[in-house]
Formats: sequence, structure tokens, C-alpha cells
Amino acid sequence: MNFDEPVQGHLHWTEGEYNDSKKDVMKTIIILSLVTIGEVGIAIAYDHFMGEKGTGKIFINMIMAVASIIKVYFIMGTFMHLKHEKKWFIITVFAPFSFLIWAIIAFSVEGSSWQAMRGWMNLF
Amino acid sequence: MSSATTAPHGEETVKELWDGGASPFKVGYGKVMMWYFLISDTFTFASFLIAYASLRFAQSTSWPKPAEVFSSIPVHGFEHLKLPLVFVSFMTFLLILSSWTMVRAVQEGYRMNKDGVVKFLIPTILCGIAFLGCQYLEWTHLIGEGMTPTSAAATTKIMNFGQLFFVITGFHGMHVLGGVVLNIWLAVSAANGKFDKTGHYEMVEKIGLYWHFVDLVWVYVFLCFYLL
Repeated sequence: MNFDEPVQGHLHWTEGEYNDSKKDVMKTIIILSLVTIGEVGIAIAYDHFMGEKGTGKIFINMIMAVASIIKVYFIMGTFMHLKHEKKWFIITVFAPFSFLIWAIIAFSVEGSSWQAMRGWMNLF
Repeated sequence: MSSATTAPHGEETVKELWDGGASPFKVGYGKVMMWYFLISDTFTFASFLIAYASLRFAQSTSWPKPAEVFSSIPVHGFEHLKLPLVFVSFMTFLLILSSWTMVRAVQEGYRMNKDGVVKFLIPTILCGIAFLGCQYLEWTHLIGEGMTPTSAAATTKIMNFGQLFFVITGFHGMHVLGGVVLNIWLAVSAANGKFDKTGHYEMVEKIGLYWHFVDLVWVYVFLCFYLL
């Protein structure tokens, strides 16, 4: 095996692969634009009609979180070409992010406990 | 390394293990390393955004409303227009558009089309510069309203909002700046025929990965500061 000139993977496309990819990217850019317009539209509409009362904000936040995950799926999958990589490469990329699930829960709980401490401990 | 070149048995096992000869996962070395850099960078951004979450949960007063903080268009002569979130949506579209031109440049690279790569890298660079210009306008406007890392504006009331906003969007802006510099270098190298000599345009894809990552981070920065 020659380590000096490693195999570089699939770096030269045929015209067919090029055209398929072009179509796929066009579809993705339309989805990304529509999701972004939808998000901003919901945010402005919520603020306009419900902003004073602030009811149901948690549902709006959940919609925004889901929309962001959709956008990340399309950016990573199509633009960063991840859905065409080897399965174990995708797992290698995503496995470290499982720590973030813990971190988000842990530090949100931590923040709430700081808020609870404000009453008897004026640190901030 | 020497054992692999001398022992024929070791050669077979390495191939079986990596499933792609010398390049693991059938991906070039540089591309794997770019992915690993992006994973580490994700953790840096994630720690900033998680700090945002815990500081937001720790407030006893309510968090500032994005539609009030970012209520006007920070362009001279348009400040009186009360159109919340319109300017930042425009910035988001600049990044989405630049992501599209970047991925087109990568595709042209796969076809070994030098002119195509340069043609699509130029709008990518311009969108990046325009994004930074918009960020300059927005920062100037917000600082003018009194929101700085050490003081709160009338619309924000809490100092933490300004601190987090300037640190996180500033760190993201630095990444955009880095991406613009890399893309300029890439366009000049491609125009000079550097990658035709190498025989492949993998560098376009590596820098493309970085550029898409900057767009991806903006999805979450946008979510945290402007939508939630």
C-alpha cells in the first residue's frame, strides 16, 4: 500500500452525477428558504397578535426548534454532502454530539437553580 | 508505516478495516480532518449557546423580546421604518445564498471546471462581505441605542443580553471573516490553475465544508437571539 499518495475518494463526477446533485441542491435551497420565511413569519405574527399576552410561547419555541433541526438536516445532508458518506463516518461525526444533550439539560437546570438562589443569595 | 509497506498480510487487514485503501471511509485525509475540526468548533459554539441558555434561565426579570430589540432597519435613512426582524432575515438569506453558490462551486470542482469554480466563488465572497457589512450596521445601531457588553439599552434592560449577543455574533462574524479570506485565497489559486496541476479540486470541498458550517451555526445563533 502506498501511503504517500492516498486514494482521495470519489473526486471526479460523471455528467449524470453532476446533474442529479444540481437538482438535489436546487430542491434543498428552496426548502431552506421556505423554512426560514416560515420561521420569521411565525415570529412576527406571534409578536403582532399574541406578543402582549405571551401565551403559548412554548409551542412557538418548539416549532422554531423543529424548523432549525430541519434546516441543519438539509445543510449537513446535502450541502456538506454527509448523506452520501459511509455510514460509519456519519456515526463518527454525530457520536460526540451526544455529550451536548447532557450539557444542554445540565446547564439549563443549573441556570434555573441560580434563579432560585437569587432570593437568598444576591450574587448577581 | 514501514511494516505496512513490507508485510503483504498487514496490507489486506488495513484495507479491510478502513474500507477504502489508504483513505478512511473513502474520504480524503484533509476532508476527514476538516470534519474533525468542525466537530471541535461545534463544541466551542455549543458552549457559548449553552451559556446563553443557563444565563437566560437564571434571570428573574423577563428576557428581552427580539421584536423590540431588533425593531428597526439599521440603515441610515430607514431607521424610522418599524419592521422587526426584516434586516436579520435579509442577512440570513445572504448566508443561504452564499451556501448555494459555494455548493455550486464544489460541484463544478468535481467536474474539473476551473472557470465554473471561480464563477461561483466570486458571489460567495461578495455575500460573505455583504453579511459582515450588515453586521457592522447592526452593531453600530445597537451600540448607538446603548446596548454594549457592559450596559443595557432601554429595549433590553438586562446586561447579559448584550454580553451574549456581542460575544456570540462576534465569534460567528470572525468565522465569516475567516471564510471570506479562505475563499479569496481559493478563488485566486483556482484561477491560477493550482488545482488543475494537483489533479483534483478537493480543496474547494474542504473550504466549502467550513463555509457551510458557518451557515449552520448561524441557524442556531438566529434561533437563540432572534426567534426564541
